[in-house]
Parts: sequence; C-alpha cells; structure tokens
Amino acid sequence: MTLVKDSLLQNYMAGTTDEMMTSSMELKPGWDLLLKNLRNIGINELSSRQEDLNWHLAENGVTYNVYNDPQGLNRPWNLNLAPSIITSEEWYTIEKGIQQRAKLFDLIIKDLYGKRELITKGIVPLEVIYSHRGFLRQCDQIEYKTNKQLQIYAADLSRGPDGRIWVISDRTQAPSGMGYALENRLTMGRVLPDLFQGMNVKKISNFFQHFNNLLIESSPRNVDNPNIVVLTPGPLNETYFEHAYLASYLGYSLVQGNDLVVRDKQLWMKSLKGLKRIDVVLRRVDDMYVDPLELREDSHLGVPGLLEVVRNKNVAIVNPVGSRVLENPGLIPFMQGISKYFLNEPLILPQIASWWCGQAKERQYVLDHLPYLNVKRIDRAQTDNIFVGNQLTQSELDELAKQIMDRPYRFVAQERIAFSTTPTYVNGMLEPRNMVWRTFALAHKEKYSVMPGGLLRVGSDINDAAVSNQAGGLSKDIWIISDKEVAVPNISSLSPKTSISLSGLDDLPSLTAENLFWAGRYIGRTLTTARFLRMALKQISYSQVADRQLSSEYLKIIFRTITNLTSTFPGFVGKEEIKDPYQEILSVIFDKEREGSLSYTIQLFSNAYFSIRNLWSSDMWRVFGRIESIWKEAREDSDTSVRKVIQALDQLITRLIALMGLVEESILIEQGLLLYFIGLQLEQSMLNISKCRSLLVYELDEQIEYEVLEALLNSHESLNIYRHSYRSHIKLENVIELIILDMKYPRSLAYRLNRLMKDLKVLPHSKVSHELTNYEKLIFEAFSKLRLAEAKKLIATRDDSKIREDLDQLLAELSDLLFQTSLAVNNTYFSHTYQQNQLVAQNFKV
Amino acid sequence: MKYSVKHTTLYEYDNYVSYCHNMATLKPREFQGQSLLSFQLNISPKPTEISERPDFFGNNITRFSIQGLHNKLEVTTISEMTRDYAGIRDSFFSYRCKNIGLKDAVEALNSNTPQKLETQPFVLESPLIRKVNDNIREYARVSFQGNRSVFDAAYELMERIYCDFDFVAGFTNVTTPISEAFEEKKGVCQDFAQIAIACVRTMGLPARYISGYIETIPPEGKEKLIGTDASHAWFAVYIPGFGWVDFDPTNNQLPADQHLVLAWGRDYYDVPPLKGVIYSNGKSKMTVAVDIQKIS
Repeated sequence: MTLVKDSLLQNYMAGTTDEMMTSSMELKPGWDLLLKNLRNIGINELSSRQEDLNWHLAENGVTYNVYNDPQGLNRPWNLNLAPSIITSEEWYTIEKGIQQRAKLFDLIIKDLYGKRELITKGIVPLEVIYSHRGFLRQCDQIEYKTNKQLQIYAADLSRGPDGRIWVISDRTQAPSGMGYALENRLTMGRVLPDLFQGMNVKKISNFFQHFNNLLIESSPRNVDNPNIVVLTPGPLNETYFEHAYLASYLGYSLVQGNDLVVRDKQLWMKSLKGLKRIDVVLRRVDDMYVDPLELREDSHLGVPGLLEVVRNKNVAIVNPVGSRVLENPGLIPFMQGISKYFLNEPLILPQIASWWCGQAKERQYVLDHLPYLNVKRIDRAQTDNIFVGNQLTQSELDELAKQIMDRPYRFVAQERIAFSTTPTYVNGMLEPRNMVWRTFALAHKEKYSVMPGGLLRVGSDINDAAVSNQAGGLSKDIWIISDKEVAVPNISSLSPKTSISLSGLDDLPSLTAENLFWAGRYIGRTLTTARFLRMALKQISYSQVADRQLSSEYLKIIFRTITNLTSTFPGFVGKEEIKDPYQEILSVIFDKEREGSLSYTIQLFSNAYFSIRNLWSSDMWRVFGRIESIWKEAREDSDTSVRKVIQALDQLITRLIALMGLVEESILIEQGLLLYFIGLQLEQSMLNISKCRSLLVYELDEQIEYEVLEALLNSHESLNIYRHSYRSHIKLENVIELIILDMKYPRSLAYRLNRLMKDLKVLPHSKVSHELTNYEKLIFEAFSKLRLAEAKKLIATRDDSKIREDLDQLLAELSDLLFQTSLAVNNTYFSHTYQQNQLVAQNFKV
Repeated sequence: MKYSVKHTTLYEYDNYVSYCHNMATLKPREFQGQSLLSFQLNISPKPTEISERPDFFGNNITRFSIQGLHNKLEVTTISEMTRDYAGIRDSFFSYRCKNIGLKDAVEALNSNTPQKLETQPFVLESPLIRKVNDNIREYARVSFQGNRSVFDAAYELMERIYCDFDFVAGFTNVTTPISEAFEEKKGVCQDFAQIAIACVRTMGLPARYISGYIETIPPEGKEKLIGTDASHAWFAVYIPGFGWVDFDPTNNQLPADQHLVLAWGRDYYDVPPLKGVIYSNGKSKMTVAVDIQKIS
C-alpha cells in the first residue's frame, strides 16, 4: 500500500516505531480503510466532529480530578477522534499474553499470602516482596471462596522497537480506566459512526457483562441478589467520575467508608432504614486505607474491622486487600522464572528490561549506567516517582546512587525505550504521538476475559514521551479490527443472576441521604439569597434613575434584611454605618471567603450536589456546569456595575430553576429525592421566616411599608399572584395571608409546612407505632401554630410599641421549631455524629 | 521461675462510645525458655464478639468488639508462666556465640540458606524503623567495626545506649520518630530498643523488637509495691550459627528470668499491646497497671 500524502498526512513523520506506518513508510493493515473513512468525513468536518466529541464528554460530565489542581476539580476528559487499531491476528497473541499474565499474578498472590514457595524455593528473592510496602502481613493466610484471588488485572502496554507489544507495568489493586474506556467507545459510536464503516470493530460491551457477573458470583453468600457496593474514597479522588459511572452503569450503591460498619463479623451498610448486609465490595480505595484497625490507622476512607470480615469469608473484596504487592517492578526480572515454575511455559508478552538492585551484579550494572536508565522504587512505580537518568544532574545522580546503595532492594532500573507512536488528530492533521495502552482482564469462569480494546493515552505534546492523565495527556479509543463481520453480543451468555431490583428508599446509604438533604437545603438557600439580592440591586438601580438617596429609610430596611437573611453580620445591622453600601453588597454576593455570602453558599451547594453526582442525568451535568461557569465569569468580571451584576444573578437564577426542575424529574423518590425535598422545603421555610421577620415586624410609615411589601413580594416571586388574587393596593394583612398563611399557594409558609409534614411521614421508621416520631411532633407543632394564627392579630401592635409582637413571636417560634426539626432528622438518619477515633494516638504513616 | 502477671489497661472516655473494635497482643507466646501455664483475659464491658489467631510473626492476637454505649473499657490479663532463661542467657557468653565476627555474619546471612528466610525480614526496613539517618549509622559504626565479634559489638551498643540516653517518661510517645529520640538522647524502653535495632540493621544484621514485662526487684529490706512493674521492651540480634540473643539497653543487661516475653516483631508497630478504633467524640484517659508475682 503506497501512501497518499494529502493534507491529513502532510506532516506525518513517524517515529522509529509507529502504529500506522512500517519503517519503509507503508501503511500497516487496516489503516488504509481508517484513513479512507477519515477522508470521507472530510478534513473540515473532522474538526467539528472533534468539537462534538469534546462537547459530548462535557455533556456527560466525564471528568477526572487532579489533586491540588489550581484549575479546581473536574477537568474535562479529552478524547481524540483518531482511534488506534490492532488487527485481530495480533490481538490473538496479546489476549493470550494478558490472560497468561493475569493467571500468573493470581498464582503469585495466592502463594505470597499462602505457602510462599516462590520465596522458599528461591524463585523470587525475599526482599522483592518483604520490603514492598504493599505486602500486608495482616493478610497472611487469608482464604477466599472464589476460584481466583486476583479478580481484576490491568496492564499498561506499549509497542517496543522490535515491533512487538510489551508489558510496561501491571495494575492489580484497583485498576482505573475501564469506565473511561467504555465512555470513550460509546462517545465515538455516537459522534463518529461513519468512522466504524467496514472496520469490523470488536465490541467491548460483553466485557462489562462479565464484570457484572464477576461481582455477583464473588458473593460468599449464595443468594440471587447479593448486595454489592462500590467503595470510593470520595469526590476528591482522581477518578471519582469513574466510580460514580461504574456504580450507576452496573446499578450498585456508591458508598464511602463512613457508610459502612462492621458488626457481628459482617459488613453492613448504614441505610435510611437501618443496617443492610453487604456481600461484595468493588474496592476503589487503596488497600492500606481499607481498615484503620489493622492497616493505616489514620485512614478515614475505610471500615474498621473489615479485614476480620474478609478472614471470616463473609464479604468479598474485589480486588482483595493486599494485591498492591503485585504492582511491583521488582517482580519483572523474575517473571520468566515464575512462569516456568507455575506453568512451565515462557512468557508470551515481552516485558520492559528491568534490573532489580538487590542483586550485586545487576546493581553494579545499574550504578554504571545510571544516566541511561529510569529508576523506580519497587512500591512507588507511579510516574511522579520515576528518576529519569538523563534528566538528572550529576549531584542528583550521586544522591540516587547513594540511595540505591543504602537500600538496594528497594530499587529497580529499567531500560529507556522509544515506544511506538500513533496518529493523533491535531489541528486538521495527524501527528505521531507516543502511546500507552491500558488493557483490562477479569476472572471469568476458568480463565480471564480480556477487554478487546481499552484505554489509550497519548502524550499532550509531540515531544512528550511521558504519558499520564495527571500531566494532561489525551485519551483515545483503540479498536481491535477483523476481516470478518463482528458478531452481535450473545444475549444468552448473560448470567441468570443479573436482574437487579431497584433498591428502595429503605436501602439508601445514609451518607447519600444526607448529601441529598443538604443539596436541597443549599440549593434552596442559593435561590432565595440570589432572588433577594437581585431585588435589592434593582432597588439600587431604580434609585439611581429616580434620584433617590441610597440612605433612604426604605433601602436601609432592605439592606438590613440582606444581612439578616445571609447571616453576614455585622453588615448592615452593625453599630457602625456602612459608608459604601454597594461595596458591602458586592462582598455579600461575590466574596467566597465570607461565610454566608452568595459565593460561599454556591460553594456549599456545589459540594453537596457534587457528592451525589452518581444520581445525575446528563442534562443535570450540563446545567450544573453552566451554573459553575456563569458564576466563575461573574466573579472574575471587572465590570461590577449594578446592571452587570443583575444580569449575572438573572442567569444564575434561571439555571438554578432549570436544575431544580431536572432534579425533580431525574431522581426518583426511592433514590432519595424525598430527602432533597425535605431539605429544600425546610430551607426555604426558614429563610422566608427570616425575611418576614426582618421586613414586617417593625411598623413603618405607610409609603415605606408599601415599598417594603412590594419588595418582599418581588423577591418572593409573588407580586403577580398577589395582584391576581387581591386585585388591590398592597396591604400588609393580605401579604401575610398570601405568603405566610395561605394553604393553597405553593410558595406560602403554611403550604410548605404541610408538605414537610407529609414528606417526613414517608421516611422509613424502624418501629411500627402510632406515636409520632420526634421530628414529626416538631413539624406538627409548627404547622398547628401557623394554622391557629390570624392575619389581623398578627399585624397589630400593642400600646405605643412599633413592634408587631405577635408576628415576631410566631415567626421566632416557627424558626426555632424548624431548626429543631432539621436537627432531629439529622440525628435520626444521618448517624455521622460519632467520629471514628483511635484508642491510642498511633497514626503511623506506613 | 514461675510468675503470675496481671496486666490491667483502663480507658475512661469523656463521652460515651457507641461501638469499638480492638486488637490486643497480650497473650504471652511460648518458646524455648518460656512457657505459658494459664491465661485469662477479662474485658469489661463484655465483648460482643471475640476471637484469637496467630499473626504473621507467630504472636497471639486477640480481636474483640463491643457494641452498646460505654464510657469505660477495662482489659485485664492474668498470665501464669514459667521462665527458665538463665541457662540460655549464660550460653550467650559462650565461645560459640562470641566467636562470630561481623564480616562472617554478613557473609553467612547473604548465602541462600533456610536461615536467611527466617532472619532477612528483620534486616529490612520496617514501618517505624526506616530511612535511618547517617547520625544513627555513625553511632552504630563506633561499635560495629571490622570483623569484631557481633556479640561484643551488640553488647557495647547496649552499654552505650544505656550510658548516652536518659530515661524520660513522657518525652516521647509511640508515634515519635526514632530520629527525634536519638537526637535528644531521651526516651523510654521502646525508643532505646528501636534505636538499637536501627543501628544493628544498618550493619546488615537482623534485629527484632520484643514486647514484654520486667519484674522490678524492690530495694533490699523493702516490701514490693503492687503495680510498680511495667510493660517493657528490648531487642534481640541474630547471630548466624548461634541464634537470637537478647539485649536490654534500658537496664544494661542481658535478659534472664525477670524479663517475660509477650510478643516480637520488626518494631513496635507489629506488637502494640492494645489498639482499637472507637466511635465517639471527645477525649479518653488511659491507665496501665502491671503486677508481677513470683510464685516459685
């Protein structure tokens, strides 16, 4: 096949080894068709498809996090439109090689925590295992019910100078990336269906079916629907998106350590109804952190006592605790021997040449060639811990040599290889970029099932050989192509156990329930605050036009209410008069460091909302993203004119309302929407009370009162309703009727309290009783007080006092009762008031 | 010698604890020179579940959980044991033990023999003894030179630690890094043991941490007071061709019958007498009392 040099390939200078080109600059099999498909789409169209890809991924909220990233959480995931391809002939060998390696690692882990014959027979030096911090002596002799101990295996592959695919490193403890691989494939199918034309790309969906079966079959308890959870370190984790994604794709609860508890040698999830027994944990928490009783004491990501449950075979952890010891480049030089010992066969896939420094000859070689090698610690093989010989100064090399001499057994040196490049679409052209390919294998029946595809990452820069997400690389899809038609996935291979019953409100993890509750409260707070601030700004704007003083009595009342509503004291209620009210209001809007400010509240709302992202729909992702970007722009805008700020608030409010609508239609009551509603109604009720107390309790001059009432109705989005209902001049008595006492008007306090009463009744009770629970009593009391009140009496003042004492007292009592209701719900359902503590302060960093 | 050891640990909590999981390394292990005649473990409040198992190092681990609110946890063990170690101690001074030089020892250890599998884990760095600094290395080198007798060098190291360091209770706790105790030349028995272990390991020799008790002998003519005995810790060095030899740097002596062993490991991390996770807010106060009675 000769090469057509068109604009797509005009600058393509393939590296020494390239996925697309042979060394004599001819296309490798399959690439001609892919290029043809690319050309058929058209160069101009390709750019717009690339944008579509990015847009789709952003739409679906595909992100990853970078710790301590100045750009904040949730970096968008990048997917390059040009896939890389592997022929099915080559795949056959690779698949065999991965299966062999997974099988070997399974045998190794069983041996290391069992008889340790690899060590006693001298096949693996003791130090390679014993000085690896992932060798957990606490896991010694633990037995498992499953046939395989290593359930998931992942390998990073690359093509070496000899043209073969090599193993670069092994991932065994909680390999990440399969969720991203799936999302990449789905997005490619959606945006570039025409690129698949005639390519016969192997499907990867079967693999996820196997994954589901694997989890179900891991259950030590023989039940049809074992309880499976995905254990995540939480939203700050680099691949939290994937944890949430897999949990929701497979239909399991996403939990954090706090949601789980060990009792009676069993693992339980704290749910709204009470404790629910857990059979299988898909672990995305590093193994040192899963049990603060036996492993890292300072961990708050795990469950105290978990290892004992594992020892008693009452729960399956996938992958098992202790599997990090296999992520060990120190094993690489011994893999041939291990393969011979266990399987009596040579390794199928070549590995990167490695020298373990615990051996005298190898150590000497490493020390002699230090500038030409990459050096890693055996248990810290992540990219940020690699010493790249040719990037070190002489003194750094000396220091490294000293470290190696000190504890030689902790170090491995590896050959530096120019790995293959693969065409990557950049600015209308294909460019060769270095690639790393992560493949995944799962225990499946007697063998391992390998994902025909995987996650491909390429350097962010043409000269960048280091490929990692942390450094901001790009991802790609990788296709296994065939000459034959690809068979439709075989439906009958689905396990009979796969029907998943939708878990109800009773089974809701209490941490999720808590997050939903607070999501409701904070979204309510954000909206109410934003509306009131917008109304206040409009008054300022109006006063500028109408030549009214900012210090007028009326505005002072509005400003004081801002402070009261947001609790940004002293603010406008302090002893000192604020000289520049507008600056103070801007601070209440934008200063995110200031507790109670709108920015601060938005932050609280984002955090609570973000922690339930496994429940989001794709529309919610988009709207949420918009809210964040609108607010970021507004905060960074140098133009802080009233008009501009009002515009920003307008946009914010519109999106918030859209989001609230989406929440209500996308999340089921059983998934916890009820808790969201309870939080929302409680918050809005409390803020309305606060607003009314600040605005209505003092008797005012008739004209000012009129303006205040109009402002209140305005901020409450009730002016039209008022006009429609009363068709009259705005009067205090009617306003109180409408927004406090009206049982039919959804924005009134009475309506909200009635709804709260009903919603709270639906929460699961552990006891069957005719007696009301404590929070039901509180809300009932509040509702009764409100129902007994009369507008006429409430507006009266006594004697010479200018204060409407009845109104003030009623609102104060209601406020207090609602606060207590919130507290009671908290104490009943969100049992996080007890913290986990160490008996003795012994936070060893092991 | 026959002893009865009563070891009581009391935790008092400011606030109620709803639940706790604990692990105790309080049941003495048996080996040549020490046997366990009887063992009682009393826990109050009564544990909801309790189980025992050997750990990686062959120590006896007890695990228990307590459900239900409590504001006090009391763990008491009564161990009756015989300790017949004086003869073994005397053998440490034998030619067979003293004859092994440093170079010979390292060479013997590096040959691939079955003993390497037993001892090599105690040469490698361990959770609390790692990244040993040059000062400690230098300190060790003063005693371990050339092909000097390992026993003599370790003996001298013990003596030097005894002389150079002050026993100051409360200056360190279980999380204080050994480098800090080393620089300040202050600490308690477990610091001294761990510093000695660090020194020995820098020479490429195996050293292990021993957790146990020591019987205090009252001054002559005075009655022994109850509760004056204590938890104790010391170290042992492996001498190839001979075996493990115990040294107590806190008291500058080779342990004999007054030293009673609970457990051993790479360092304190492997053998804390009692640890746990409680679900509670607020602080706790711990009191420990050890009482050793010589029965015969």
